[in-house]
Amino acid sequence: MGEHDWHSGQRCPGAVVLFLQSDGMFSVHFRAAAGYLRTGGYMMHLIGTELEDFCVQAYHAGEFEEVTKESVLGHWSVFFFYPADFTFVCPTELGDLADFYEDFKAAGCEIYSVSEDTHFVHKAWADASDTIRRISYPMLADPAGKLARFFGVLVEEEGQALRGTFILNPEGKIRAYEVHDMGIGRNAEELLRKVQAAQYVEEHGDQVCPARWKPGEDTLMPSLDLVGLL
Amino acid sequence: MIDLKEISSECSLLNDKLCQDIEGIIQKLQKPVTIKAVLDMEQEKSVEMASFLKRFCEIPAGAPVNLELYSVKELSEGPDAGTLAGSLKLNTQYLPVTGLYADGEFSGVSFHGIPGGKEINAFILAVYNLAGPGQELSEGTKKRIQKLKRPVNVKICVSLGCHHCSGLVTACQRIAMLNPLIDAEMIDANLYSDLVEQYQISRVPFMIVNDKDTYTGPRSIEDLVVLFKNSR
Repeated sequence: MGEHDWHSGQRCPGAVVLFLQSDGMFSVHFRAAAGYLRTGGYMMHLIGTELEDFCVQAYHAGEFEEVTKESVLGHWSVFFFYPADFTFVCPTELGDLADFYEDFKAAGCEIYSVSEDTHFVHKAWADASDTIRRISYPMLADPAGKLARFFGVLVEEEGQALRGTFILNPEGKIRAYEVHDMGIGRNAEELLRKVQAAQYVEEHGDQVCPARWKPGEDTLMPSLDLVGLL
Repeated sequence: MIDLKEISSECSLLNDKLCQDIEGIIQKLQKPVTIKAVLDMEQEKSVEMASFLKRFCEIPAGAPVNLELYSVKELSEGPDAGTLAGSLKLNTQYLPVTGLYADGEFSGVSFHGIPGGKEINAFILAVYNLAGPGQELSEGTKKRIQKLKRPVNVKICVSLGCHHCSGLVTACQRIAMLNPLIDAEMIDANLYSDLVEQYQISRVPFMIVNDKDTYTGPRSIEDLVVLFKNSR
């Protein structure tokens, strides 16, 4: 595969692709949502990338159900990846999300937690854990790694996903994301703020400033900038 | 009226370099302008504002820049309180408040709080547009502004660090200068938590038209003319 394929954005079915560079060296790329993520040098971002078609099983409010791309269109979504069921940090994070779930619903946003476990394991975890039992958002099962690969969070050799959080608009396009290493937890309240900020920008554009009302801004030194205005 | 001799012109916000830059602009003033402010000298911000204005008026200009400072008590006490308040035409709900006047008339332009940070640009442009050659504006736009028949009060809530805010303040105030039915008040919302709470302001610029309708984000003069024309 040569430079042409990189620029045209074509995708290879394989997970790892070698590119022959102009200096005769090869560079290694992983296939991911935005095309190819380069292992050294620069990486492409995922903002604006549209969700691919997918179909996975989910454990949702005591039932098994199918979740597809169509299921997540028409409303804001959060894909919340975590390494594995039956671990310690995960129930804390997922419980934190459950505590704010009503706020996310009020904001018109559905939560989809995702791990590489099956939906049967999700159920077993819910049966075993009080924290997981009270979760009422869909818990997606991604044992084949399709979603985790698409979002670029799958650690192939471990078969687990990094702690990636992706905010998608109603058209299924990624508007914000963060990826943490395995042991670094996330904050549901901050995630809610990001969802609301993304919704705000979608509605009003980005020519506004957040009003934080913190002490100190009123002493900001004046900055004269009238170039082109007089 | 507050005796200006009692006011210090020491102002950390207006340093010598900034004053030199401002001088380059207000040297172009072509007619006298008067700055009138209503202050509560028991409040730190009012004391700071008094010094800011005194220092500003000491910068050499192409035409006189006069300063009159009033205590808020003067507008509520004494036999001439009503007359004074009527002549100033300033909204004293949010102090300190500063208005710009030319040709013996209120321009419709006022500032609540100190126009520091990015808002210094709006303040300088307001003076320049009122008494200097002013920014370019097409004759067609001027006519559309002058044809607006309904009274409009617009409050532009800003934060001093907002780089999108001062442009909207200038656009609204430019319209206010050209039509006596329109007032445009810049408000440093950081100082007035009641206002932030009342309108649940989380983003700026945040515009309140006739104390009813609210809008977020910058707009052009042309867009504002249409908005004001259709205002309630």
